[in-house]
Amino acid sequence: MTEATGTPFVLNTDKGLETSLRGFLRQLLESGNIGALILPLKVPSGDSFAWIMLNDAGMIDDAVPFPATMPVQGAKALRSLTRKERGELTVMALMRPCEIRAGIELSKLGQVNTENLILATYDCAGAVPLQSYVSDPAAAEKNFKEFFITGEPDQNAKPICASCTDFSMVDSDIHFGYFGVREKGMLVIPGTVRGTDLLKKMDLQTASGSELLPVWKAEVEKLTEKRSSVRKIVFKKTEKDISGFTGMLNVFENCIGCHNCQSVCPVCYCRLCYFGSEASRTNPEAMVNEAVKRGGISLPPDRIMFHTGRLAHMSLSCVSCGQCTDACPVSIPVADVFSFVAEQTQHTFEYKAGRNDGKPLPLRDFKKSELPGVHKLVKDAEPGGTSHE
Amino acid sequence: MNKEFTPRITSFLCKWCSYTGADLAGTSRLQYSTSIIPLQVMCSSRVDPVFLLKAYLSGSDGVLMGGCHPGDCHYETGNYHTRRRFALVKEVFDSLGLESARLKLSWISASEGPKFARVANEYTEEIRKLGENPTRKSIFL
Amino acid sequence: MSSINIEKSAEKGINDLLRHLLGNGKVDAVLAMRMVKSSGAWDLALVTDVKNLAELSPLAPVMTVNASQVLSNLSLSGKKIAAVLKPCELRGFVERVKREQGSLENLITISHTCGGVFPLDLVVEGSVDDLLHKYEKVVATGEIPSNIRDTCKACEHFIPMNADITIAAAGECKPGHGCMIYINSDKAKEALLECTGHHGNDLLDPISLEKLAAARAKEREKLFSSIEKDCSGLDGLVNIFGKCVGCHGCSRVCPICYCTLCDFESANFDYNLPYFEEHLARKGALRLPPDTMLFHMGRLTHMSFSCVGCGMCSDVCPVSIPVAAVFSRTGAKTASIFDYVPGRDVAEEIPVMIFKEEEFPELG
Ligand code: SF4
Ligand code: SF4
Ligand code: SF4
Ligand code: SF4
Ligand code: FES
Repeated sequence: MTEATGTPFVLNTDKGLETSLRGFLRQLLESGNIGALILPLKVPSGDSFAWIMLNDAGMIDDAVPFPATMPVQGAKALRSLTRKERGELTVMALMRPCEIRAGIELSKLGQVNTENLILATYDCAGAVPLQSYVSDPAAAEKNFKEFFITGEPDQNAKPICASCTDFSMVDSDIHFGYFGVREKGMLVIPGTVRGTDLLKKMDLQTASGSELLPVWKAEVEKLTEKRSSVRKIVFKKTEKDISGFTGMLNVFENCIGCHNCQSVCPVCYCRLCYFGSEASRTNPEAMVNEAVKRGGISLPPDRIMFHTGRLAHMSLSCVSCGQCTDACPVSIPVADVFSFVAEQTQHTFEYKAGRNDGKPLPLRDFKKSELPGVHKLVKDAEPGGTSHE
Repeated sequence: MNKEFTPRITSFLCKWCSYTGADLAGTSRLQYSTSIIPLQVMCSSRVDPVFLLKAYLSGSDGVLMGGCHPGDCHYETGNYHTRRRFALVKEVFDSLGLESARLKLSWISASEGPKFARVANEYTEEIRKLGENPTRKSIFL
Repeated sequence: MSSINIEKSAEKGINDLLRHLLGNGKVDAVLAMRMVKSSGAWDLALVTDVKNLAELSPLAPVMTVNASQVLSNLSLSGKKIAAVLKPCELRGFVERVKREQGSLENLITISHTCGGVFPLDLVVEGSVDDLLHKYEKVVATGEIPSNIRDTCKACEHFIPMNADITIAAAGECKPGHGCMIYINSDKAKEALLECTGHHGNDLLDPISLEKLAAARAKEREKLFSSIEKDCSGLDGLVNIFGKCVGCHGCSRVCPICYCTLCDFESANFDYNLPYFEEHLARKGALRLPPDTMLFHMGRLTHMSFSCVGCGMCSDVCPVSIPVAAVFSRTGAKTASIFDYVPGRDVAEEIPVMIFKEEEFPELG
């Protein structure tokens, strides 16, 4: 959890969290301190949500600040707005913590410009899988309500949510905290200088949240602990599933090579993925020769190559949002694998994706002396390698 | 329909015929509809069908394609391709129940200033009757 | 042209046929569906060793990828390959060849009268083995199984159009008839000269498939009119495609959408701030990322006339949009204005590449 950079305020929640948040957003838009908001709205068919950028305050009533599911990873909305050009328009986006973390990661990758963005997050209880929502919105809403209240993602949530430990305040400009205090109010917590300034400018005539802050913190810590223990169990299982020569083959054996997992991934930003490019196309003659050598091959080619390549390309930036699993047409638990490997690769470089802590992307940086484990591998590979002794 | 409604008609006009025809209408001081927003293209076949879609989805009330008469294209066969693509886009519109009347193709030569003015005025009237393009206000596109 | 009758089931018969081709060096490799016995997972396999032919289930109602995509690259290997394709995969491949994405030269294409395929989620959910038995029974009587892809139910081209070899696998097979293999090209005839079985001159008899054709036509009418109702006008379009998450999976698995970098992924559709501001000023709001409808309408104009109705796009859509139904319905219309039938004939040019001097008199 990130620390507050200023005094939090409390919003009255007598009429519910959503109403109080909508009221705040309206006040913010009308104050003229921001030019537009990015919020989820229900699509006309009623069975999903879309990101809508709006400057018409009347539309805030149609917004669903806490949507039950996550159709398009929010970072993609931020990217489409700022990839080409940053502008003078100040826009605030209210998104789940993993969406904002992906947005921050994309800003390091040069795909999002946060200069005139206000990034806002809220305590996230989890989301229901997209497929469940689309196939039965009413049931999904009901299921969502249940864990939205407890803050503990259950079996109806996306599997990855139960093991997410970054579900509350991240490096956003403003965070809305309600875990453990929702009856008393919703905390509006500034997380950056920009957030603090904005709240100051708004001149909210509401109570100070200094008293509620520790209560909220304690609850978030409690929930973090719970989710950490789930995380350990899930990771153990994944480790077992993917280990060994056949591990990845087994997990991905149904993969049809559609690359949906990559195209919905917020941090896989390349327009033309290497694994869909001419450069990666297998020489057809070599492919048949390979088949002759083995008696046969499975097609389309290079599916495991694709997944391991993607792990190498982007696991350092994976925010464990679970979108890849949601988009897989053959129900492969892609995110379990990516999130597990991400934890290992990020740990190796003492890096955490989605933070705004001044640390550069690991592969853009090096120290002259680091990674003793790699030195050991190199030594071992030398003739008469020493480290066995 | 609202009297105030002034249609906007995005008009792709080829440099060699239709655009020159529009110019002639101007220099001949013929009055033609201010709804026409002319865009010069080298040949009508330069217009990717996606341009028509983009104009339509961005709220143009009408989209006009102007080219040389068949057989007269400066690039010989460009406008034959244009005609096929136009038929294709129209069919896509019809199949989706969208108003294909918001798309118009017209052959106007460099010397047909009066025809240009007539087409512009008639098409503007047609679009005025159709009313505003619903894409102008739709936020989920 | 000619025929071979093998007194075995269609599955066993096609296996003999493939064994003949691969075992006698008529081809270097065989491409067909396979079920991995240990796990029940399905994939397309390129088999070069006769021993491994037994693993194949060439006629199984499963399509993990439209094989024409994989075949494009393979067909350029310079090796002889026998490819077992569903009729729509073959038609897709013909469309790809027209777009210079492969060659028929070194291929022996084997296709079959097709009873339709199961949706992917059914394939990964449980054991296809269980479903197969019922499927085969229903298909043999010329009826439509209830659990196949929507577009399969509505497919009218279940008889391969220009395969080198056609296997009878659907429709009213007279019991005891065994596996009927119809040979449609000299290339195939030569390769099968010494194939076991009774060689004859039987012709595939579409009359026996009339019942299936009629049932399919009815389903097609039903599917298309339901799409016509749901996807009509701007509101209808937004209702159907409004929940699209923009993954573009539908275009990636499409046999016709071959572009390495799709236009709609390109920088052509990145915008400067004034673009967004104009939308805000005009309607107070817009969707991010933009251009959802443009993508689908754009794709319809780029490729619908070549759509073979295989149904891959619907199967991979993470939000269950009936993409294939919309595309094959519009595709039928856009193809018909050019008297075009996708995959009918490799010599027939793509409609947007040609023109007639006198046509569409109502335009312009
Ligand atoms: S790999 Fe999967 S979990 Fe990780 S950021 Fe990408 S979509 Fe999210
Ligand atoms: S989404 Fe699933 S099937 Fe598609 S490439 Fe990823 S893992 Fe494979
Ligand atoms: S597969 Fe579905 S969600 Fe993805 S782009 Fe196509 S229609 Fe949209
Ligand atoms: S939609 Fe058009 S540009 Fe994109 S892959 Fe298909 S044919 Fe190519
Ligand atoms: S130059 Fe006018 S249509 Fe080609």
